[in-house]
Amino acid sequence: MTMTTRREALALISAALAGTTLGGRAFAQGAPKKGGTLRISAPANPSSLDPATGGAGSDHAFLFTMYDTLTEWEFDTLKPKPGLAESWKFTDPNTLVLNIRAGVTFHDGTPLDGEAVKFNLDRNRGDAKSNIKADLLSVASVEVTGPQQVTLKLKTPDTALPGILSDRAGMMVSPTALKAAEGGVVTRKPVGAGAYAFVSWADGEKIVVKRNEKYWKPERPYPDGIEISIIPELTTGARSVTAGQNDLIYQLPPRQKAIIERASSVKVVHGPTLYVFQIFLNWARPPFDNIKVRQALNFAIDRESFVKAALAGLAEPAYMNLPKSHWAYDAEVARLYPYDPDKARKLLAEAGFKEGTPIEIGGYTDQDSVQREEILLEQLRKAGINVKFVNGTVAEASAAFFGPEKKGAGLLSAWTGRPDPSLTYSLMFTKDAYYNGGRAPVPPELEAAIKESRASEDIEVRRKAFSTVQRLVMENAFVVPLAFQFELVAMNKKVQGYRPNLLGKPKYDDVWLEG
Amino acid sequence: MARRSPVKVIGSRLVQALPVIVLATFMVFSLLKLVPGDIAVTLAGDNATDARIAEIRTIYGLDRPFLVQYGAWLGHVAQGDLSQSLLTGEKVAVSIGRAFPNTLLIVVIALVLALITGIPMGVLAAIKPNGWVDKLISMLASLGVAVPGFWLAMILVAEFSLKLNWLPATGAKSFSASPIDAIRHALLPAIAIAAYGMAEVARQLRGALLEVLSSQYVRTLHAKGLSMSRILWQHGLKNVSVNLLTIISLLVNRMLAATVVIEAVFAIPGLGSLIVRGAIQRDFPIVQGVVFSMVVVVIVVNLVTDLLCAVVDPRIEQ
Repeated sequence: MTMTTRREALALISAALAGTTLGGRAFAQGAPKKGGTLRISAPANPSSLDPATGGAGSDHAFLFTMYDTLTEWEFDTLKPKPGLAESWKFTDPNTLVLNIRAGVTFHDGTPLDGEAVKFNLDRNRGDAKSNIKADLLSVASVEVTGPQQVTLKLKTPDTALPGILSDRAGMMVSPTALKAAEGGVVTRKPVGAGAYAFVSWADGEKIVVKRNEKYWKPERPYPDGIEISIIPELTTGARSVTAGQNDLIYQLPPRQKAIIERASSVKVVHGPTLYVFQIFLNWARPPFDNIKVRQALNFAIDRESFVKAALAGLAEPAYMNLPKSHWAYDAEVARLYPYDPDKARKLLAEAGFKEGTPIEIGGYTDQDSVQREEILLEQLRKAGINVKFVNGTVAEASAAFFGPEKKGAGLLSAWTGRPDPSLTYSLMFTKDAYYNGGRAPVPPELEAAIKESRASEDIEVRRKAFSTVQRLVMENAFVVPLAFQFELVAMNKKVQGYRPNLLGKPKYDDVWLEG
Repeated sequence: MARRSPVKVIGSRLVQALPVIVLATFMVFSLLKLVPGDIAVTLAGDNATDARIAEIRTIYGLDRPFLVQYGAWLGHVAQGDLSQSLLTGEKVAVSIGRAFPNTLLIVVIALVLALITGIPMGVLAAIKPNGWVDKLISMLASLGVAVPGFWLAMILVAEFSLKLNWLPATGAKSFSASPIDAIRHALLPAIAIAAYGMAEVARQLRGALLEVLSSQYVRTLHAKGLSMSRILWQHGLKNVSVNLLTIISLLVNRMLAATVVIEAVFAIPGLGSLIVRGAIQRDFPIVQGVVFSMVVVVIVVNLVTDLLCAVVDPRIEQ
């Protein structure tokens, strides 16, 4: 896992270059200093501050401030690296040993030892209220094998675990707090071992955290605390930053970049993420039960133009579910679907699909989604594909497509990515996965390849397995990936040390405030 | 006819209000259940499976029949418990208690602004109907009705917050903690809502005053040699005060509704933002709680208006 390959080296170089061009001024400043309150505008109220029971992908921006994870990831590539577990080792394919950092305590003073880790992992994989049982399905038992060591016995080899433990499943909650909490859930009174300790949460309004003075990472965190205001209207959130009421806003839509850059007090950084706009397909029934129609859709989309027109150029065209900078990216697979409307027409004719037959696809009602639809409509029309978008709110349209109603032949939505790619594929491209809208079978070799990707720890072997997975997904055209959205963060010029990461969920590890 | 005591009036009105509350909350509950979208999916998280979603439905009682779920909610309310958010577990009463003052402050300021601008405009317009002052005021009033509040709000922010830096662009502050800061935060949203109110007050008042001015006793007052402005301010306004009270009560209700959009523009954590968040996430205890409290506010405002009307004009039979 320490071997650096050429592709990784390239990714690191390009990330470093991006750093100098985008944030040159940010990094040219003096030494980090302590103090000040970082004020952030966040787009959504968290669903819960208990990592095991929460549901929304947007929760992480809050959770990461309060909870440290067993493993962490490299910002640029998402390769797992030590966190609360200072090292880990697969002693055999079915045994994972985690060595826990000594001397770390939770915010309430409870020591973070082997027992605490076992308590958390057992809760995450067994408690009725846990939403992350599926993440730890491969774990048969967790044993405390030393004061600062736990050993995970696995039902099947699962090398995705180090990645999985960098997310919700690896967020450690104080067992003392959990045992004392009503219903065993710390939704509103989170106690972790992260850089900041919880102070208050007013729903839909504000979350306040303060510096954990006993934090294990040297010198960190720099600010005295963070105040996160919840402002669902992104335009309003951006205004709060230009007006100086907040210091930082993340997840801005691309169209905001030009507007917010007019403010002289604000700087903008961006970087690639796993967040991919895509059309989910229901391949259980016509027209997408026909592979040629699915492939035609993939050929009919001019992704380069889509990125320019719909996302102001602040995105990477997506030909598979991983972006270029990811360690498991495969350039060969990315060449499968060049823009070719004639080929699309030909495939449709071969499939016996009558040109102009309307295809109903679900979508969302917000301004940016509708704009994306308009561009797609125009592109698809050129290939003789007549799509009719039926829009609803995110909750409504998603439930209608993925839920029992099975509405529409597809859904224009997005996939937020996971720390380990195997989760992305098993959640979308296995027979009974929720995000396989039609719950239709996939080729057995695809399911086998997904399993294979979790069987070896060797990154080259895993990379090969993911190439197979990704090739099968795209050759079967089970999805129409469109573009990887860049993370767009606007901040006051006094904010230093912020770096975007590939997961697209902000972490404020090295952030400090000037002046 | 003998007048009924105010206590009895209030009592009977409150009893009449109960079915209204039940009907309103039941309708909103039905709507939330009828539209597609399911909080169980949200609750089940990013890595949802069908089995997990079914499990969540059982845990939260979402698999019970529709009427049972509504009945359970109503039962809690009858015991003074608005229950809690399904997602975050915050008590709905706590959320409303925090949000309501923010909304109330905006509505009160907006109402005051609407009245101190709208009343003089209405009176001035009525002095010389179809004169140039009247025409100018009519034009302003039409503009006030026509301009969308959210648009005006954004123009106000661009000018007074971002350019001139006089007032904050977003957020709210607690009135009890720092009244001046709270008013500074509420001023722009209040102006955005007040524009419509001003126009409405001016137009309605002008119409009511013209009717009064054409009545016979006004002619008598003229004949006695009273000046036009004295007739207007002393006699005219008194005679239209019932109209004015009715306009105010309608305005309060309308302004409450307008806060839903305005609060989003200014990121104000008030009742409007609360109900929008609840509705989008299908977190029905929140939606029900806000609807319940808004219905109560509307009923109270109407009741107070009726009582005041009776005080101002004893001819009104209770």
